Amino acid sequence: MTEQNPTRRTFLVRAIVGTGAIAGAELVPDACAQNNQAQKDANPPAQLHSSGDRHGAFFNHDDAATIAAFTERLMPGAPGKPGAHDAGVVNYIDLALSGAYADLQDFYRRGVAQLDAYCRKTYNEPFVRLQSVRQDEVITALEQGKATEFTWPTAQEFFNIIRTHTMEGMFADPIYGGNKDFAGWRLVGFPGAQPIFTKTDMESKQAFTRTPITGL
Amino acid sequence: MATEKTDVVIVGMGAVGGILAAELGKAGMKVIGMERGPRLTTADFSGQDELRYFQRQDLRPNAKRQPVTWRPNANANAKPLPVLNYGNQAGGGTVHYGAVSWRFHEDDFRPRSQTIERYGASAIPKDSSLVDWPLTYAELEPFYDRAEYELGVSGKAGNLQGRKIEGGNVFEAPRRREHPLPALLADQSGFIFEDGARKLGYHPFSTPRAIISQSYRGRTSCTYCGFCQSFGCHVGAKSSILVTKLPEADATGNFKLLTGTMCFRVNSDNSGRVTGVSYYGADGSNNTIEAELVVLAPFIYDNTRLLLLSKTKKFPNGLANSSGQVGKHLMAHITPRVFATFDDRFVNIYMGPSAQKHSLDDFNADNFDHSGLPFIRGAQISVSPADLEAGPIGAAISMNPPPGIPRWGASYRDFLSNYFARYAAVVAQTENLPYGDQTIDLDPSVHDQWGLPAPRLTYDWRRPNELARIEFMLVKLEELAAAMGATRVWRSPLGSGAPGAHHEGGTRMGDNPKTSVVNRYGQSWDIPNLFIIGSSTFPSMSGFNPTLTIQAFAYMSADAIVNRYRKSPGRLI
Repeated sequence: MTEQNPTRRTFLVRAIVGTGAIAGAELVPDACAQNNQAQKDANPPAQLHSSGDRHGAFFNHDDAATIAAFTERLMPGAPGKPGAHDAGVVNYIDLALSGAYADLQDFYRRGVAQLDAYCRKTYNEPFVRLQSVRQDEVITALEQGKATEFTWPTAQEFFNIIRTHTMEGMFADPIYGGNKDFAGWRLVGFPGAQPIFTKTDMESKQAFTRTPITGL
Repeated sequence: MATEKTDVVIVGMGAVGGILAAELGKAGMKVIGMERGPRLTTADFSGQDELRYFQRQDLRPNAKRQPVTWRPNANANAKPLPVLNYGNQAGGGTVHYGAVSWRFHEDDFRPRSQTIERYGASAIPKDSSLVDWPLTYAELEPFYDRAEYELGVSGKAGNLQGRKIEGGNVFEAPRRREHPLPALLADQSGFIFEDGARKLGYHPFSTPRAIISQSYRGRTSCTYCGFCQSFGCHVGAKSSILVTKLPEADATGNFKLLTGTMCFRVNSDNSGRVTGVSYYGADGSNNTIEAELVVLAPFIYDNTRLLLLSKTKKFPNGLANSSGQVGKHLMAHITPRVFATFDDRFVNIYMGPSAQKHSLDDFNADNFDHSGLPFIRGAQISVSPADLEAGPIGAAISMNPPPGIPRWGASYRDFLSNYFARYAAVVAQTENLPYGDQTIDLDPSVHDQWGLPAPRLTYDWRRPNELARIEFMLVKLEELAAAMGATRVWRSPLGSGAPGAHHEGGTRMGDNPKTSVVNRYGQSWDIPNLFIIGSSTFPSMSGFNPTLTIQAFAYMSADAIVNRYRKSPGRLI
């Protein structure tokens, strides 16, 4: 992520590749990997409710790129660990802002504008052009309310809403445009809306790997 | 504009309204039930959708269109609460609740006397309005029994007619017979909670819930899918008013349900009786119902709001308010919690009924000696998912990561990835004392979609007695989580002083018309043909979830109306 590239698609690809290098250490890798793999095998990516970074119901290209970069830093993807891009978080937020969250359209417009104003003032570049380490510094400044240039929404409000919407896009049913191919559910080992668990299921100390994952 | 006549109008078709509709209808009284929201069916709940029902709060009032404001004290500005936890459909909160169904303890009905007898009057904080209830547990017990069997509650007795039974709640008040249904199966979180609690010498048990563990009265049993709290039940195994009492009310032939209606005034005449209600229809029309008897049974805010909105020259301070007590003594549960993660096992806490799963009662009420402690009364302790609901959105939103792990980025992703299926929350639900300056009134500047002033809450739980109790409980929760075998245990932040769950108060019951709004039957001291039934009448709150007690009172009031009030209408029972 050290080079600058003006095209959005290239940027997004780099965002995914770049984050793998700083993925945190696994604490209990085996069971989760087994769980994820078992669910992956049984759930071919047939449900194309969403498509990665697709947008346009609300966001323009630049804003979508900014939100894509931001949400990927919040939930970075890595090999075997789907992140915001893999889950289609931008697509989720884009659709939500054109519907259920339409009253947050200006919140996002102004939030992105203020974010870029802060980044330009501090680093002479908009958010999408910053290296991932710099992007993390910016996000930390927002989270802690230390970023200047924010009036409404405040930096913390903007951070908190994007974080919340990122989690929604990761983990809400794919019908809403995120959690593509159950990427978020695979990440954490959630089997979705299972209509029934048996006594044996509930007595097991092991990862639940019965498939398929069940969505709406 | 329409006017119609009936024997009884009931405002609110939730935990209370459905029971009254069924019981009064069966007794031959013509009943109109008013419900602000829609009437849904089990078929509406086939989609177990965490975004819709947990995160976006479907089945709850819309906090923007139906605002409720809160301020921590009378000098602060009130702001709309972001989330409202009560129901907004026929069946009310019983549609989406976790269905935890407790009987209160014997001393929950006499907390003031119990405290004075054991610790002296000085143990009660000077500013608390703690009082005894106007009846004993023994007087309500037949109606607890009735509610458990009528609705369908699963659990194991811990005290059968005074005989203590291991495996049930040995601290519970004596019951005449077992629950109608055996306890629900435990999941992993229940097993480890059970083991940890026993190691520490406590008395854990499967939480009694209005979720049927076997088929019951034509309904099929729980499938342990885990979508309870926040959700409607996809098989109708949750004993909500929607699937239990509304069909029964329908079958009487005496019940009419008006959905999409907003009652904005209880009408009264100069003789001092109420004559019915006025309401806005779904089409915005302004309508009137004339009734011999008015029963108020909405969520607690709207009892106070309706009484205050209905003031007349004869009742200048609002209806039923000669005592000046309307709107006072607001209470709510606060739920301090710790999170625990396990490295040697999965917990899979998303399996099985999702709210307070397994519980212990050793530190609730006055079940333990408070001598030397800087607080009175206690808390129910349970194991549960992060926010009583067990999906990954709930975990990501409601579970703060442990110290050292940020709320975002690669290490947060890995925390969720590794521990979503390996965590449990251990939660206390505290019995906060009543205080006279914790109130509900009308917001002077915020209005709802009908143009009515929003209910305004003035409330802050952060008082010395309550803070001391919370710190005591957090230490117990940490010890429990460690005894359960957790590798890591950390606290959840406590948040602001805003009210939590299970609101009580505003139309306090008592045995003195000068210091209370209603009698034990919910009958207004001032206006005998007006009844107010629900947790708004609770003089104190218990650490237990209120719904079964609300329902027991509904049965007691229905019995009193049918068998006593009707014989001499317009008189105090």
